[in-house]
Amino acid sequence: MSISRRNFLGWMGAAGLAGSLGAEHAHGAPTREFTGHPDSYGVLHDITRCVGCRSCEEACNTVNELPKPATPYTDESVLNKKRKLTATEYTIVNKSVQKGSPIFLKTQCNHCLEPACASVCFVNAFQKLPNGAVVYDASVCVGCRYCMVACPFEVPTYEYEDPYTPEVVKCTLCAPRLEKGLLPGCVESCPTESLIFGKRDDLLKIARARIEKYPERYVDHIYGEHEMGGTSWLYLSGVPFKNIGMREDLGNKPAPALTSGALHVIPMVVALWPVFLAGMFGMAKRRDKIAAEEKTKAIAIAVERTENKAAETLARAMEKAKKEKENILKRVERAKEKAAKNKGDT
Amino acid sequence: MKKPGYLLCRAGIIPLCMVVFYSTNIMAKAQDGTGTAPEARADLIIIDNMKSYRPLEKASVEFPHDAHTDALSKKNKSCETCHLTEKDQFYPAFKRLKNTGREEVMNIYHDGCIACHGEMRLKGEKTGPVECDNCHREQKKFTSSRLAMGFDKSLHARHVQVHEKKCETCHHEYDEKTKKLFYAKGKEGSCRYCHKEQTQENVKSMRVSSHIACINCHIKSQEKSKLNLPVKCSQCHDASYRETIKKLDPIPRLERNQPNRVMIKTGVMDLDSGEKTRMSIVPFNHEAHEGYNNSCRVCHHQEMKRCSECHTLGGSDEAKGVSLELAMHKKDTNHSCVGCHATQYKENRNCAGCHQSTPTTAKMSNRSCEVCHIPLPKGVELTDNTAQLLLESRPEKPATYTQEEIPEKIVIEKLSKKYESVEFPHRKIINKIIENMGASKLARYFHAEKGTTCSGCHHNAPLTKQPSGCNSCHTQAFNDKDMHKPGIVGAYHLLCMECHTTMKIDKVGCKDCHKEKSPQSSALQKRGEE
Amino acid sequence: MAEQKDSPAQGMTDAALGFMRDDNQKFSPLTIVTGIILLVGTILTILRFTQGLGAVTNLTDTHPWGMWIGFDLMCGVALAAGGYTTSAACYLFGMKKYHSAVRPAILTAFLGYAMVVVSLLYDVGRPDRLILAYPFVVQQGTTSLLFEVGLCVLLYLTVLFLEFTPIPLEWLGFRKARNIAVKLTLTLTILGVVLSTLHQSSLGALFLIAPSKLHPLWYSPYLAVFFFVSSIAAGLSMVIFEGALSHKALHHRMGKAYLQEHTPLIFGYAKAASLVLFGYFMVKVVGITAGDNWHLLPTPYGVWFLVELLGFVALPCFLFAMGSRNKDVGLIKFSAVLTVIGIILNRLNISMIAFNWHLPLDERYIPSWMEIALSVYMVTCLILVFRFIVTRMPVFDEHPDFKEHHE
Repeated sequence: MSISRRNFLGWMGAAGLAGSLGAEHAHGAPTREFTGHPDSYGVLHDITRCVGCRSCEEACNTVNELPKPATPYTDESVLNKKRKLTATEYTIVNKSVQKGSPIFLKTQCNHCLEPACASVCFVNAFQKLPNGAVVYDASVCVGCRYCMVACPFEVPTYEYEDPYTPEVVKCTLCAPRLEKGLLPGCVESCPTESLIFGKRDDLLKIARARIEKYPERYVDHIYGEHEMGGTSWLYLSGVPFKNIGMREDLGNKPAPALTSGALHVIPMVVALWPVFLAGMFGMAKRRDKIAAEEKTKAIAIAVERTENKAAETLARAMEKAKKEKENILKRVERAKEKAAKNKGDT
Repeated sequence: MKKPGYLLCRAGIIPLCMVVFYSTNIMAKAQDGTGTAPEARADLIIIDNMKSYRPLEKASVEFPHDAHTDALSKKNKSCETCHLTEKDQFYPAFKRLKNTGREEVMNIYHDGCIACHGEMRLKGEKTGPVECDNCHREQKKFTSSRLAMGFDKSLHARHVQVHEKKCETCHHEYDEKTKKLFYAKGKEGSCRYCHKEQTQENVKSMRVSSHIACINCHIKSQEKSKLNLPVKCSQCHDASYRETIKKLDPIPRLERNQPNRVMIKTGVMDLDSGEKTRMSIVPFNHEAHEGYNNSCRVCHHQEMKRCSECHTLGGSDEAKGVSLELAMHKKDTNHSCVGCHATQYKENRNCAGCHQSTPTTAKMSNRSCEVCHIPLPKGVELTDNTAQLLLESRPEKPATYTQEEIPEKIVIEKLSKKYESVEFPHRKIINKIIENMGASKLARYFHAEKGTTCSGCHHNAPLTKQPSGCNSCHTQAFNDKDMHKPGIVGAYHLLCMECHTTMKIDKVGCKDCHKEKSPQSSALQKRGEE
Repeated sequence: MAEQKDSPAQGMTDAALGFMRDDNQKFSPLTIVTGIILLVGTILTILRFTQGLGAVTNLTDTHPWGMWIGFDLMCGVALAAGGYTTSAACYLFGMKKYHSAVRPAILTAFLGYAMVVVSLLYDVGRPDRLILAYPFVVQQGTTSLLFEVGLCVLLYLTVLFLEFTPIPLEWLGFRKARNIAVKLTLTLTILGVVLSTLHQSSLGALFLIAPSKLHPLWYSPYLAVFFFVSSIAAGLSMVIFEGALSHKALHHRMGKAYLQEHTPLIFGYAKAASLVLFGYFMVKVVGITAGDNWHLLPTPYGVWFLVELLGFVALPCFLFAMGSRNKDVGLIKFSAVLTVIGIILNRLNISMIAFNWHLPLDERYIPSWMEIALSVYMVTCLILVFRFIVTRMPVFDEHPDFKEHHE
C-alpha cells in the first residue's frame, strides 16, 4: 500500500476541516444576526418604584457639569408640567396621573443595541460601546441633525443657541464614569433603586422575576427588551406603557434594518445603470447610423440613376450629332460632287 | 379635434371636485368635536337594538328615560303610552313584546318617537327632536352614570317585612313537566341562578325579568298603599338617590335554615372515589361570614348547596375539575377562603402595609394551615357543638412582646451626609399595627404567634425576640453576585414608602423623614471630614 | 447676432451692477423688491452666522429639520432634475431634437445644486466642517443614506460644473479647453444620470429611518422609488415651466434653433411627463396598498394626501396627455406648474407637514419668517445668477464661433 496510515489520516483531517469550514460558511451567512454586545451593561427602570424625587436629575446635572436650573431640584411643582429633554438636561422625570395615583417616568437616552443615531450619522459621530453606552464624538459632528430625525425616542437635542460650535446633546450612560468603575450618576443617586445597573442579561432576568412574582403589580412586558431591536435601558411598569407616553408602536426591528434595503440597492444601481445607459446610447447611435447609411445609399442610387440617365441622353445626343455631322458631310460631299460636275459641265 | 378634449378636461375636474367636497365634509365633521362635556345621567338608555341584525347605519340614539316619564306624567299619561302589557304586566321594551325584525323594530321607534314629538311640536310645546341627526347623534350629549341595582340584605329584609314572609311573591322555581312556575318552600335562591345576563330560551334575562317584576309590583302596590315606591330609573340606579334608601340596623339574617357553625368535613370519606384525607376538619363560622358579604352568591355561586357536594376531593365534573382543595385555597378568586382573605388584606389599608408586598404567588407557611385546620383535641368526639368549641378556642388577641422588649427608636444614619439622621419610632409603629389588628378576627387568628407581626418588616428573619436587622442582608447596592436583592438604602426606601403609600399615610416626601441638615451640623461634619 | 455678445470684461463690470440690469429700465418695481430681498437676506445671513440657528429658525429638538431642508434641499434637488432628464434624453436616448434645451437645463441644474449646497451651509451647525468635506476625509459613515446623498450631490455638482464649462469657455473664447470639455459629454451624462438616480431616490430613503414619525400614508418602503420617479416628472415639468418663463423675459436672447425646437420639445416633454406621472400615480397606489393604509384616507390627513395625489399627480398627468394630444401649449404649461407645485407639496409634506404628525399642534414646527426670507433670498440669488449668465453666455443660443461643432 502506497498510502500510509498517517497520510490517510491527514487527508481525512483536511477533508473534515474543509467540510467544517464550508458548513460554517453555509450556516454563517443567512442567519448572521447581531443581538447586542455580549455582557454589555444597562439600566432597569422600575417605574412602579419611582417616587419622583428628581435625585437622578440632580446627580446627572452634577456629574456632567451642566448649568444649574432656575428652580432647585427639590421643587416638585416642576413635575406638574410635561417636560422634554433639552440641551442642558440629559434626563428628566415626568409625572402622569393614572387612576388617581401619580406615576413617575424617567426619560433619557435608551442606548439602543443598534442605535438609529449611529446608523444614520454620516461621520460616524455616534458609537455603541461594548459596555452598552451609545456615545457621541463632537469633534467630527457636522451638525446635520439627522440623528435627531432618526431617533424614535426623540432623545438627542441640539445647542441651537450656540452660533459657532453647537453640539448634539444626550445622555452618555456616564460612559466616562463606567470606565472608572463608577455607577452612572442617576443610578447611584436613586434612593428607591427604581434604577438598577447591571449586565443587560441579568437585568432581563430580574425584570422577568419581578413580573412573575407580582403579576398584579406589573404589566407583562419589559419595555426595551425588543423595542427597536432592543435597548440597554429597560423599563417595568404597572400601567400600559402607552398610558405614560411611551410609544408601543415602534416595532421590534432594529433601526438599521429600516434602511438596509435602500442601501443594498445603491451598488446595484452603480453597477448596472451605466451598462443600461450605455446600451441605450448604443442603440440610439446604431439607429442613427443605420438611418445615415440608408440615407447615403438612397442618395447613391438616386445619383447613379440620374447619372445613367444623363449619360444615356448624352450618348443619344452624341449619336444624333454624329449622324447629323455625317449627313452634313454627305451633303457637303454631294454638293462638292455636284459642283465638280457643274464645273465639269461648264 | 377640440370637442373630445374639452369633455376630457371636464372629466379631469371631477376628481378635483370630489377632493374638495370630501375634504370640506370631513373638516366639518372634525369641527363638530368642540362640544361641551356630556351630562351624566342614571336613566340613559342607548337604543342600538338594531345592531343585532346588522351593523348600524346611523349613530345609536340616546334616550333619557326619566325625562320622558316626567313629561308624560305631567300630561297625565301613563306607562301605556309607550309600553305594551303581557299578562297584565308592563313589558320593558318600547311598544313591543318581541323583536320581530329589523325593519319592524326600526319602524316602531321611528313612528312612535316622531309622531309624539311632531305632535307636540305642532302644538308649540317643548319636545324632543324629529330630525334624523338630532336623535342619531355622533357627538353624544350624555354619559351613563347608571349603577347596577344593589338589592342588598337590608332591602331584602324590608321586603320580607312588608310581604309578611310570603317568599312566593318573588321566589319561584320552574317545573319542566308542567312548564309552569311554582313555589318550593325552603329552596329559595338568588334570581341570578336562573336569570342570566342574556335571555335564554324561555328564561328572561335578569335585566328584563327584574324590571317586569319590580316595577309592575311597585306600580300596583303604589295604587293600593299610596306609598312612594321607586318606579323611575334614577330611584334604583342613581348613586345619590340610593344613599337615601333606608337601611335596617341591625340587618336581620336571611332565613333559609342555614347553619350557624359548620364543619367543613375534609376528613370524611369522599363518596365517589372512596378517597380520604388526613387533613383536620375546619370549623367555619357561617353566621359571621353572612355578615361580611352582601349576597350568598359570593360563596354559593351556582346553587345553594354545600361546597363539598360538587367540590369533591378529586373534583367532580359538576365542579369543572375544581377540587375541594382548590375551591378552598385557590388564590386568584373570591369564591375560595384563601382567595377572599387575600383580597381582604390587600385591600384593607390596615393590612396592606405589610401584605401588599407579599407576592400572591408566594407559598403559604406550613404554620398557617393549623389556623383553620384545627386538630381535634384528644378525646373530643365530633358533635354538633364541636365547631363552636373549636372556634372559641382561637385566640382573642394578636400576640406581641412586652413594651420593654420592643425597642423604642431606631436611628438610621445612612444618608447622614446629606440629611440629619432619621429617628424611626419603632415601638410606636408596632403598637399602632397591633391596635389596628384588634378589630379584625382574621388578623387576630393569623398573628397569634409572637413575632409574626415583626416579620412584616423583618421578613425572612426567624421569629424571635430580636430578629435580624435590615443590614444583616441588605448591603451595598448592585452586588452582581445577587442582583435581586436591593441595597440598604433602596431597601429602606422601598419598604417604608410602600407601607406609607398602601396604608395611605401621606408622609412620602423626602423631608417627611429626612430633616434638612442644620448649618451647624453640616459645618461640624465638614470639619470632621477634614 | 454677434453684436449682442458682451465681451467678458464688459460682463465683469456689469456684474457689479448685477441685479439692476433689467433690459432698458434701471429701477423697475421688481428691481426694488429684489433689492429689498437681497438686503434683508444679507442681514439675516449675518445674523445666522453670528447668533446661531436658534436666533433665526424655529427649529426644535423634535423638529430638527425645517424649511431649509424641506424646501431648499428637498425641492431644490427635485426641481433641478431637469438637468439629467434632458441631457439623458438628448445624448443617451438619441432625441437630438432636444439639443437646444440641454444647456438651459444643465445651467438650471448646476445653479439649483449650488443653491442646495449653499443652503446646507446655512442649515448645518458646523458649516466649516462641511466646506472642508470633513465627512469624506475624516470618518465615513457608510451606513448612512445621508452619506450617500452628500457624496452624490458633491460628485454631481462637479459633473454639472464640467457639463456647464463649455458655456463660459465659449464665452471666454478658450477653444481648446472647450473642445476637451465637449468631448467628455457622453461620460459626464452617464455619470450624471447614475448619480442623480442615486441621490434623488436616497433623499426619499432618508425618511425610511423614521416610520414612527412620518404619517403612514407618506411613509412607505418604496419612498426611494417615489422620490426618483417624481423627480423625473419634476425635471420635465421644470424644463417646460422655466422655458415658458424664460421665453417671456429673455426672448431676445434666444437663438433660432432654440426657438424652432422649443414647441416640439414642449409636446414631447408633455407626453413624457404624462407617462411618468401615470407611473408615479400607480406606484403611490401600490404604496397605499402595500402599507394597507386605505382606511386612513377618510381622515383629515388622508384628505390632504388625496389632494396631493389626485389634484397634483392624477390631474396634471391627465392634462399633460390632453395638452400634447390637442397641441395645447397653454394647457401643458398649466400642467407643468401644477406638477411643480405638486412635487413641492410632496416634499414639504414628507419633511414637515406629515412629519411628527403624532405630536400635539403646539409642539409642531412652523417656519419663522426669517427662515422663509432666507429661502426666498436663495431663490432670488439663483435667478439673478441665471439671468447674469444667460444674458451674456451662449445658453439659449449658439455661439457664432462654435456653431459647427456640436454633434
